[in-house]
Amino acid sequence: MPAETHVAHGPIGPDEVYRILRERLAEILEIDEDRIKLESSFTADLDADSLALIELVEALEEELGERTVGFTIDDEDLGDLRTVQEAVDYVVARLGS
Amino acid sequence: MSTERITVAVDAMGGDNAPGEIVRGALDAVTELGVGVLLVGQENAIAPLLPDGRVPGIDIEHAGDVVAMDEDPAAAARRKKDSSLVRCAQAVREGRAQAMVGAGNTGATMAAALLRMGRVRGISRPAIAVPIPVPAGTRHQLLIDGGSTVDCTPEWLAQFARMGREYARTRLAVDEPTVGLLSNGEEPGKGDELRKRTFSLLEKVPGFHGNVEGRDLMHGTVDVVVTDGFTGNVVLKTLEGALRAAVELVFRVLDSTPEAKEAGKVVAPLLLDAAGAFDPDMTGGAVLLGVDGVCVISHGSSSARAIVNAVRVAQECVVTGVVGRLKEAIDAG
Repeated sequence: MPAETHVAHGPIGPDEVYRILRERLAEILEIDEDRIKLESSFTADLDADSLALIELVEALEEELGERTVGFTIDDEDLGDLRTVQEAVDYVVARLGS
Repeated sequence: MSTERITVAVDAMGGDNAPGEIVRGALDAVTELGVGVLLVGQENAIAPLLPDGRVPGIDIEHAGDVVAMDEDPAAAARRKKDSSLVRCAQAVREGRAQAMVGAGNTGATMAAALLRMGRVRGISRPAIAVPIPVPAGTRHQLLIDGGSTVDCTPEWLAQFARMGREYARTRLAVDEPTVGLLSNGEEPGKGDELRKRTFSLLEKVPGFHGNVEGRDLMHGTVDVVVTDGFTGNVVLKTLEGALRAAVELVFRVLDSTPEAKEAGKVVAPLLLDAAGAFDPDMTGGAVLLGVDGVCVISHGSSSARAIVNAVRVAQECVVTGVVGRLKEAIDAG
């Protein structure tokens, strides 16, 4: 297995990605995790600005990168991720690709 | 704090006068302050500015990239990981330096510090605490935010107030700092929606005095003046411009008649000496509060003297444990 695709702690599914994303986003926005739903819009529902989203991306890359070496999120794709669901789907797809 | 020498990471490529003035300032800081300086930037630009290429107390960390003054802050901080600015923040994160100083892109400095050092829990956005001289007073005022976070929520401004109070305790040695919200009138109902909603939150902050106006700056009405980064930056630039115009006016008057010229021989040196207190280079830099490390932001046209004084501020912040005290105060509510 090539090192760059090595999964250190087993596969990461949508539920795990959602859990990690909620946890990190709640820390960044200083809000209760319960406010973050799959259907939540980053801007309209959670008031996340561009800097908060970049913080989230960096946090996800750091945490998921420890488990899936080489995991990154393309900045160009950020603008297309409007809801938590879209972000979870995107991350799961990137992890599986 | 241990007696080990403090190392300050300095962005050698940041600012209008980089790298020449920055490197000269770093050299003077090592001599005058006894700190170590980690000069971060393009080695081939820095090394020729050092006597014999090397100086005790100064280390060079090569960074291949530079963040320009007009770049998008968040994007630059994320994408340019090999920039001198991001590498400075990374050095603090990794413990190779205890503080950083940057005179480049202010927004990018904030973003780099936030992304690499992390935030203080309970603080959503960092803010720059700028000391403002008070000619008739015995201590400075703090203006927070001086330009870090342009668009703010009322909750963020309330956080700025709490950070400003704690910083005033540490740096201005005020036991119970008073806080004012910068608005367009003293009455509680004055201001736009942001000010009105912030006012009600600040009523729960100890030491809240109420609204203050622009004319209360430099007059010590309160110890901490709270505003959003957009307004704060406009205020600072306005003060700078007004002071410069006032100085020009005084010296024109002192040059206007033979009698005035005679008086000027006595008065001018005194005025120039007094005006030194208002020279931004003498302040050096302002601290970015709310990130989990010491980050001092110096103005874009910093001279070598400004860099020395910015490093001094960074050193004092490390020695007095500004970040640790801030965390304790925020945790305590």
